[in-house]
Amino acid sequence: MFRHPWAPYAFIAPAFLGLFVFRFIPIGLSGFGSVFSENLRGDMVFVGLKNYAELMEDPSFWNTMRVTLIFNLIINPFQICCALALAMLVRRPSRFIDVFRLGFIMPMTVSIALTSIIWSILLDPTLGPVNGLLRWAGFQSQPFFRSEHQALQTLMLVATWKGAGYWMIFLLSGLLAIPKEIDDSALIDGATGIRKFISITLPLMKRPLAFVLVADTAANFLLFAPVYIITNGGPNGATQLLMFEAYQAAFAYINHGRSMAISTIILGVVLVIAMFELRLFKPAGEDQS
Amino acid sequence: MSPRLSETLRYILLVSIAVILLTPIYWLIMSSLRPADHIFRFSGNFSIETLIPFAFTLDNYSQALQSNVGRALLNSLFVSLTTVICGVFVNSLAGFAFAVFDFRFKKLLFVLILLSFMMPFESIVIPLYTLMRTIGWTDTYAALIMPEVAGGLIIFLFYQFFRGIPREIYEAARMDGANWWQIYYKMTMPLSGPTIATASLMIFIHQWDAFFWPLVATSSERLAVIQVAIARNMTMEQANWGAFFASASLAVLVAMVPFFWLQRHYVKIVITNADR
Amino acid sequence: MTISRRNLIKSSALGSLALAMPNIVRAQQTTLKVVWMGWPDNQVLPLMAEFEKRNPTIKLALERMPFQQIFQALEIRLNARNGDPDIFIVDSPLTASYASRGHLMELDSLIDKKRFAPSAIAAASFDGKIYSAPFGSSMQVLYYNKDMFKAAGVAPPSADPASRWTWEQLVEAGKKMAKPAENIWGFTFEQQERPYQLLPMGQSLGGTALSPDGFKASSYIDGPAFVEGFTFMQKMYTESKISPPGQFDTALTPELFGAGKCAMMVAGTFVFDTLKTKFPNLDFGVAPHPAFAKGKPVTPTGAWHFGVNARTQQKAAASQFVTDMLSDDMNVLWYKLRPYVPTLNAVWEKEAASFTSDLWKIAKYDVQNTAVPRPATPGFREYEDIVRVALRDIQSGANAQQILTAAAQKIDREIAKYKG
Repeated sequence: MFRHPWAPYAFIAPAFLGLFVFRFIPIGLSGFGSVFSENLRGDMVFVGLKNYAELMEDPSFWNTMRVTLIFNLIINPFQICCALALAMLVRRPSRFIDVFRLGFIMPMTVSIALTSIIWSILLDPTLGPVNGLLRWAGFQSQPFFRSEHQALQTLMLVATWKGAGYWMIFLLSGLLAIPKEIDDSALIDGATGIRKFISITLPLMKRPLAFVLVADTAANFLLFAPVYIITNGGPNGATQLLMFEAYQAAFAYINHGRSMAISTIILGVVLVIAMFELRLFKPAGEDQS
Repeated sequence: MSPRLSETLRYILLVSIAVILLTPIYWLIMSSLRPADHIFRFSGNFSIETLIPFAFTLDNYSQALQSNVGRALLNSLFVSLTTVICGVFVNSLAGFAFAVFDFRFKKLLFVLILLSFMMPFESIVIPLYTLMRTIGWTDTYAALIMPEVAGGLIIFLFYQFFRGIPREIYEAARMDGANWWQIYYKMTMPLSGPTIATASLMIFIHQWDAFFWPLVATSSERLAVIQVAIARNMTMEQANWGAFFASASLAVLVAMVPFFWLQRHYVKIVITNADR
Repeated sequence: MTISRRNLIKSSALGSLALAMPNIVRAQQTTLKVVWMGWPDNQVLPLMAEFEKRNPTIKLALERMPFQQIFQALEIRLNARNGDPDIFIVDSPLTASYASRGHLMELDSLIDKKRFAPSAIAAASFDGKIYSAPFGSSMQVLYYNKDMFKAAGVAPPSADPASRWTWEQLVEAGKKMAKPAENIWGFTFEQQERPYQLLPMGQSLGGTALSPDGFKASSYIDGPAFVEGFTFMQKMYTESKISPPGQFDTALTPELFGAGKCAMMVAGTFVFDTLKTKFPNLDFGVAPHPAFAKGKPVTPTGAWHFGVNARTQQKAAASQFVTDMLSDDMNVLWYKLRPYVPTLNAVWEKEAASFTSDLWKIAKYDVQNTAVPRPATPGFREYEDIVRVALRDIQSGANAQQILTAAAQKIDREIAKYKG
C-alpha cells in the first residue's frame, strides 16, 4: 500500500460528495426517524427505542425475520452456484459460445417489475402457459405462488432466473482473467476435473467471488418487488420478507417509525453478513481492509 | 469420458439452459405481436398456438408508440448513458484510492461505502425527495441522474478488481516519475477494460430499470422514463396488455443493444489483457 | 358553469384589479400541479384542455401516474408537506386517510350536496365535512357468457333488478358449466381478493364491515354475517370448484372471461367496453349483482375522487378547478371520455339517452338502491391490506372465523394510531 498526503482524499472526494448528499444524509435521517414516532399531522415525537421494542415483541416480525433468513440462506449460495456453473460452461471458447454468453445474460435486461409480472402470468394457475403445458403433458397443475409450500421456492427460482446471468458476468470475467499458464501447468501436474477446480481455480477466484457474494446478499435482502406484485406476503405469511414489511409499514400502514426501524435492522444484518463474507474470502497473504 | 462426448453433453446443457432462460422473453415478445383477444386465449391450455401466434398484428406497437413510448425510451437512454459515463469515472477514482492507498479513516470510509448500497432505497426515498426539493432539483434530469452517479456497489467492484493489479507496476511507474493521476488514467484504467465494461452494464441496467424514484422525483411528461411509460398501460379498470407487452418488449430489446456491443468488445478486451 | 358566491366575490375583486392594471393582471398566469391517474391520453387530455380553455389564466401541469405505485408516490410527495401537488386524484375510500393527516382541503363551500348521489357525498366526507370531490363512481354487475349458458342448457339470469339471482342460484348454474380439470370455470370475481368486491357477501347477510366511528373491526368484520358469507365464498373455490383459485390479478380475470374460460364474472361497469372492443366475438349479457337468498341486495360502489392539497399556494385557482370540474357540462364531457357511473344527478338526466341499455339500467337502479360505500376510516389502507390477505387465505381453505378474528385484531391495532 502506498501513502500520499492528499492524493487518496482527492480521488475519493467526488464519490463521497455524491454519497454524502444522496445516501448518507438520507440514511442518517432515516435511522434518526427510527427513534421517533410521527403523529398524523407529521409532528415527530421522540420515542427512543420503542419502535425496536415493539418489533421484538411482535411475533409476526419474528416470522418475517425467519422467512427472510431462510430465503437468504438458500438463495444466495444457490444463485452463486448457478452463476458459477454458467460461467464454467461458457468459459472455454468454442463454436457459438458468444451466442450462449449473450443469451444467458439476457434476462437481466428485463426489469424486476416486469420479471414479476411475466412470471406471475407464466405460473398463473388458470391462464399460465406453464400449467397449460403441465396439464397437456398429463401432470397436475401446480399452484406455485399460490401455495404456502411452493411460494418461497418459486420466488427463489424467479429471482435466480433474472440474477444468475447477471452474477455470471463477474465470475466469467474472473475466470477469463486467470492466466493461461496456470491452467496449463495444472494440466501437466495431472490435475483434472473437480480437483483442479477446487485446488486451482477457486482460490484464484476469491476476489470476484467475494464481490458477488456481498453484492448478491445485499440484493436479495433488499428484494421485494415480486412479493409486492405477486404474493403480497402470502400465502399465510410464506413470502413475508423483511424488506416487504418495511415497505408496507411505510406506504400502506403509514408507520414511518416502524418502517425505518425495520430498514435499520436489515442494514445491520446485511452489514454483519457482508463483513463475515469478506473475511471468509480474503485472498491469502493480503491485509484486511 | 471422451472429449467428444463431454463436448456434446456441454452443448446439450448449454442449449437447455438457454431455452429455460430465454423462453419467458420469447413469450413476452410473441404476446406483444398477438391481437388483443388472442393474448391469453391459448396460454392456459397448451397447443402449438401457445408458442407461435397464428394471428399476427403490429397494432400493439402502434398503440405503444402513440402514447409517447419513443420519448420515454430516449429519456431512459439519455439518463442511463449519462449516469454510466459519470459513474464509471467517479467510482473508479474512489475504487482506485481504496485499492492503492493507505490513509486515515480508510476502514471507516470503506464500511460507509458498504452501508450505502445496503440501505434499502425505499427507506431513504422520503428524505431524499425532501432534500431534492430543498435544492430545487425536482422535475429535472439532474434528479434522475445525480443520485445514482456515486454508487457504493460500483466503488466496491472497482476496488475488488483494482486490488488484483500487482503493486510492482505502480512502483515502476512511480520510479519513472509518473504522478498518481497519470497512473490512474494511463495505466490502471486501460488495464481494467472488463471491469469498466461490467461496471457500465451495472449502472446502465440499474438506471434502465428505475421506476419508483423517477415517478416520485419528476412530474413532467417530457421527463417520463421507460418503466413509467410501460406501467401506464395498466390501470385498475382497464389493462391494455397488448400495449403493455409491446412497450415492455421495446424496453427489453433496446436494453439489449449495450449487451451486444459489450459481447463484441468484452472478450477482445479480456484476451488482450491475458496476452499481456 | 356554476359559480359559487365566494368565487363571484373573488372574481369581481380580481375584475376591479384588472381594470386598474389591465396589462399586468392579464399576463398573470397561475399554474396548478395536478396529479391524475395514468388513464390513456385521449381520455384525460381533452378534459384538461377544456378546463384551460375556460380558464385562460390557469395552466395545468398535468401528471398521469401509473396505477401500480400512484399511492406510494403520492405519499412521498404529500409527506414533504408543501403545496405540491395542488390537486391530486383520490381513491374515494382514502378520503378519510388523507383528510385526517391534513393533506386535504375542506370543500364544503364549493360543493352543493344536493347535486350528487348521497353515496358519493358519503364517500367524500370525513368528520361531517366534504374533503374530496366526487368525480365518478362504480357499480358491479354480473357478466355472463351466453354461449356457455346455451351449451349447458342453463337459463341465463334476468336483467331485471327485481328478479336478481341469488348466490345459491349462481353456484348451481356454475356447477353445470365449470370443468376445473379442463380449466373451464363457472364464476369469478373480477377482483377476487379485494374488500371492494367481497364485502357485500357479508353485508348482504346483514353484516357491517367496520364500526360506524371507523375505529373497530373486531365483532364487525369477524361477525357471523361475514363468517357465513366468506365461508360460502370459500366453498366456491374448495367444494363446488366453480371459481379459479389463486387468480388475484385484476387485469387477468377479464381475460379469462373474454377467452370463454369462465361463464360468469362479477365486474365493474367499466369492463363492458373493454370486453366489447377486445373480444368482438364474445357474446355476453349482463345481470344485476347477486345477493343471498335470505339476505338483502348490497352492491359495492365508490371510485375516483380528486382533492385539493390543504397546503396549496393557489387556493383561488384550485377552488376554481373544483367548481369547474364538478359543473354539469364538464361532468358530461368526463362521462363521455371515460364512462364511470356518474355521481352527479344532472349527468343521468342530460345523458338519459345513453343510459337505456341493460347495463346502465341496472347500474342506475343499484347506485340509488343497493350501493354501500366502503367503510369510512382514516385507516382504510391498513384495513384493505389486512382484509385482502385474509380473503386470500380464506379462499385457499383456511378457517374463515379464525382468519377474520386475527385480521380484525390486527386492524384494530393498526387503526388505533388515528384516534389521535
